Amino acid sequence: MIAFTARRLASAVLVMLALSVLVFLIFFATPGIDPARQMAGKNPTPETIAAIEAEFGLDRPLPVQYLKMMDRLVVSRDLESYSNRGAEILPQIARAAPVTLSLVLGAAILWVVLSVAIGVAAAVLRGRIWDPLLMAIALIGMSMPVFWLGQVANLFTQDRWHDTVLFSWVPPLGYTPLTEDPVLWFKHLVIPWITLAILYIGFYSRVLRAALIETESQDFVRTARAKGISERRVLVRHTLRTSMIGFVSLFGLDLGALVAGGALLTEVVFGLPGVGRLTYRALANLDLPVIMATVLYGAFFVVLMNALVDVLYARLDPRIREA
Amino acid sequence: MSGSPWRLALARLRRNRGAMASAVMLCVIVAASVAAPLYADHVAHTDPFASNVNGTTTVDGREVDVVAPNASGLGSTPIGPTLEGRYFLGADAQGRDVAARMLYGGRSSLQIALIAAVLTALIATVLGIVAGLAGGWIDAIISRFLDLIWAFPVYLLAISLATVLLVQGIELGPITVDASSLWLPAVIIGLIYVPYLARPVRGETLSLRRQEFVEAAIAQGASNPRLVFGELLPNVAPVIIVFLPLIVATNILTESALSYLSIGVQAPNASWGTIVQDGQGLLYTRPWVSIAPGILIVLTVLALNVIGDGVQDALDPRGRIRGRRRTLRRGAVA
Amino acid sequence: MKQRLLVAGSCLVLAAGAAGCGGSDGDGGDSAGTPAKTAEGDHRGGTLTMLWNAPGQSIDTAIAYDQNWQVLRMTGDGLLGWKQVSGPEGTDLVPDLAEAIPEPTDGGKTYVFTLRKGIRYSTGDEVKPSDFTYTLERQYKAAGPAGGFYTSIVGAEACAKKPKTCDLSEGVVADDTAGTVTFKLTAPDPDLLQKLAMPFAFVVPKGTPNEDIGTDPLPATGPYMIESYAPDSEMVFVRNPEFEEWSAEAQPAGNPDKIVMKIGLGLEDATTQIQNGQADWMYDTPPADRLGEISTKFEKQVHVNPGPQVFHMALNTRVPPFDKVEARQAVNYATDRDAVIKIFGGPALARATCQILPPDFPGYAPYCPYTKDPGEKWTAPDMEKARELVEASGTKGEKVTIISTNDETTKAIDLYFVSVLRDLGYDAGIKSLNGGVQYAYVQDSSNKAQMSYSYWFPDYPSGSNFLNVVVGCKGFTPNSSSSPNLAEFCDPAIQKQTEEALALESTDREAANALWTEVDKATTDAAPWVSLYVANRLDFVSERVGGYEFNPAVTGGFMIQKAWVE
Repeated sequence: MIAFTARRLASAVLVMLALSVLVFLIFFATPGIDPARQMAGKNPTPETIAAIEAEFGLDRPLPVQYLKMMDRLVVSRDLESYSNRGAEILPQIARAAPVTLSLVLGAAILWVVLSVAIGVAAAVLRGRIWDPLLMAIALIGMSMPVFWLGQVANLFTQDRWHDTVLFSWVPPLGYTPLTEDPVLWFKHLVIPWITLAILYIGFYSRVLRAALIETESQDFVRTARAKGISERRVLVRHTLRTSMIGFVSLFGLDLGALVAGGALLTEVVFGLPGVGRLTYRALANLDLPVIMATVLYGAFFVVLMNALVDVLYARLDPRIREA
Repeated sequence: MSGSPWRLALARLRRNRGAMASAVMLCVIVAASVAAPLYADHVAHTDPFASNVNGTTTVDGREVDVVAPNASGLGSTPIGPTLEGRYFLGADAQGRDVAARMLYGGRSSLQIALIAAVLTALIATVLGIVAGLAGGWIDAIISRFLDLIWAFPVYLLAISLATVLLVQGIELGPITVDASSLWLPAVIIGLIYVPYLARPVRGETLSLRRQEFVEAAIAQGASNPRLVFGELLPNVAPVIIVFLPLIVATNILTESALSYLSIGVQAPNASWGTIVQDGQGLLYTRPWVSIAPGILIVLTVLALNVIGDGVQDALDPRGRIRGRRRTLRRGAVA
Repeated sequence: MKQRLLVAGSCLVLAAGAAGCGGSDGDGGDSAGTPAKTAEGDHRGGTLTMLWNAPGQSIDTAIAYDQNWQVLRMTGDGLLGWKQVSGPEGTDLVPDLAEAIPEPTDGGKTYVFTLRKGIRYSTGDEVKPSDFTYTLERQYKAAGPAGGFYTSIVGAEACAKKPKTCDLSEGVVADDTAGTVTFKLTAPDPDLLQKLAMPFAFVVPKGTPNEDIGTDPLPATGPYMIESYAPDSEMVFVRNPEFEEWSAEAQPAGNPDKIVMKIGLGLEDATTQIQNGQADWMYDTPPADRLGEISTKFEKQVHVNPGPQVFHMALNTRVPPFDKVEARQAVNYATDRDAVIKIFGGPALARATCQILPPDFPGYAPYCPYTKDPGEKWTAPDMEKARELVEASGTKGEKVTIISTNDETTKAIDLYFVSVLRDLGYDAGIKSLNGGVQYAYVQDSSNKAQMSYSYWFPDYPSGSNFLNVVVGCKGFTPNSSSSPNLAEFCDPAIQKQTEEALALESTDREAANALWTEVDKATTDAAPWVSLYVANRLDFVSERVGGYEFNPAVTGGFMIQKAWVE
């Protein structure tokens, strides 16, 4: 068990290292991208550009630049942005992380609760009209582009229906830290939570429903029923528990991706200064150090959750350990 | 022996009313997109790619500006939905017919989604089978490589590649892809979802390899090509087919996200995503420019998801293929 | 060096009664929406919230050379500044940290400034003459963009070549006991005083690190200091406790107690927030589709002011098809400037132009050959003539790619031109690059960019700062991403006239301006650009904002500190 975990974690570190090289190559080795020129601003003299190149080591060979960047990122931890010269990146990420966490965790709670409810309802009510209806609604949620849904939400909550009782409480787009004003924090996040959750409720309720149906027909459940245990107990103690294994592992993977900055478009559409938006703006400005930092930050979470889920699954299902 | 499971599956699919209805809707959308030039010429009488800022059109018999300037001299407003032949859904800020562009946009979006899916299927099949069959260090390299791509947050990889490749296009030996061609987003989207499919293919190959009839064939000295084409592909095919509608659906969503961010389909080509982007600057005054293509995206993706369900039920009623938790990784952009 | 700016005809175009027009009247309390208080002192207090989608690169005055100037001028001061009033006087130089504007002596090569006494930084330290030497040396040591401006100072040429060891003690002579700063030049520089008003010359204390200070603000001398800067979310300004107003003309005291800049919000949402009163000002222009709504329902909160930015399509004169002057002129004739103005935001936001110099600029004389009835003004496109010229050029059918960015307006204008080019028979398309990449990309001649949308505005009103830089031979450096002459235009005859005009600048301004008129005309005829329009600045403020005033200098715009929210 420990060996397995150790192996997984070691390969995770290797993957991240390889990723950093990949990102570096993608951006640094592309013609047409000239960081020194970008940093130099409006109409610099050739001397200015040369001075910047020297200062930031941009005239050194690529491997040297890579090592310098990784050193500043991981070891001395004072890597600076190219778009905002002198602005340190790690504090920026530290500021953005709680915003993303607020968005993602809130949405996650919402979608887990709702998808469990819908999934269970659909499975229990299988055969009657509710099942396909619920599943249809779930599917529609899954099929929406999140940026479009967010825009439509903004159209109504900020403009069209803003003056009605329904949405007059909606504050202007933005974010307030929880420590500063919990009520405002909450109000800022409600619509984004719902928007993000709609995307995932569909998928998870379907997964749960399918897992429930499959588990239900298995022997140990039939045995429980035969023993006379109430339907409700059967559901909760036996079927649900088993079905949640798959649910939880998928949830872990998706949560990892979202915390990593995967809610990029949601953050942009709702004006939340999270890691996703930071990444997006860095990509739009070709701010290479920030891109490197945010990709690695994100990859860390993705790889971590992948590994955790693998470990979890291996504990529960010994057959997988062999694969 | 290989004929009847397919026929059985098809019959099951046909009985699935949801899937059939979705297939019909999909056909309607595809047909409408294919007929885009006909619509543009004969119904809308416009060139959906030419600016028409100072043009006029007749609505209810009256002549109105397509893009009407405001009395204050500040700003202008494009015409809203006329519900007539010309400018059925109104005009965008360039004075172009939104409905006609939406149909052309469908062509781009559907083309890219399909080409990308085919690319993913081809590459994933090759990689998956080679990894599963060869084993050893070849498998290790391929698997690690797939792990690497998968660890890169998918949307980030797409955005990074798109951002960078848009500057120069692709030039790999004989293969050149121009930055403004539809092939660029298609290739990018095709590449990023390879691990999504390659892993189940590899898994299926591995489990097939262990099965008796395959071991027997190997013992009998069957050559590799015979093995692949005779035994493996027919059994791997259902895996691919089950995933295909889902992949196409995800591709549509990914392409629309990239185009919305202006790093997908490039102007003056149109796709549903670019039209949503066009409508962003008109969201509060002419919301239909953004809402309408979004609705089309939802309908298409929904149809594909239902068909995907149907195909799964038909080919794999016990959920063996999609049931594996590792393979259900969602790759859409949030 | 007075610049006379007409308050644009935009005032007449806007609905009559829009009290916020031009802001050329100094009193702000005449519109119905603002509070009844009139005396300046009553308005102190409150927090002004501003929205800015993408502020500039840096808050370090040595490095910033962009829109950040508008807010940095509230925190910093130089020896001189531009008068903080609205109207044409707003580009007049006034003494700021200096007591008076000196007359040059020694044949124009020496300027002696006497420093005002008792002015302190926000840290409590006193501002000393030796700080000015340090500030200008820092410009070179920190690899700032403005080294080229100050090369007339003794020692500056050496600094440009070897920045790390920059020593300007001979060129910027500081006498801390006498309280004077003496500038010694290698040759007369009639624009030196203007350059000392730019934020590059805002004083910083000796010992400030010689690199971009990043998010750690510089000590302030102005009424505000930057309390915090988070580049991805906000910048907060608070009152500078050490500030005491020494010249209302140069650096007026601030009304709001606090100014919060929220960064990154989309323009549609920013507009909605101003409408809802949830924010007080947005730096960016509201999107074109909201302009109608805000100019009718919120007209008292909309202020339009003239700006000298000339927007144009730059045509590469060294790459086919635009290496043929007929092709360039053809596009000029074919362009419907009304349509582009419509796309940009309407006639109240922009005036059509055919030539290089903006109106009211020294040397400007109205001239438009590229219209149906050539003369002084543009009236209508002439497609017939355009098509004739395309035939004559022999370039019909050639491929043209416009290098665009993701900015909405830029893309919209570029798409319009794709249409026009296709109409003329070219095989046209666009390529979108990121904003920062695009500008460097189109400057580099090795990329062979054929056409791009661009604008130019002068740092100070002088012909040398416009024609010479942006369409003169000096502005073109081959294979360099710093080559603002995007058209790569260099005509020997026109260049000769330019050199003559430059030489006359320091001795006979009027003769120089007459020559600039000639240069403008000749360059316009050669059509390195498709000049489109001269744009106005539009400011949209919330209902509670009073005392709106607009300063026309390059560090100007909406004078935030003079407005009030209480």
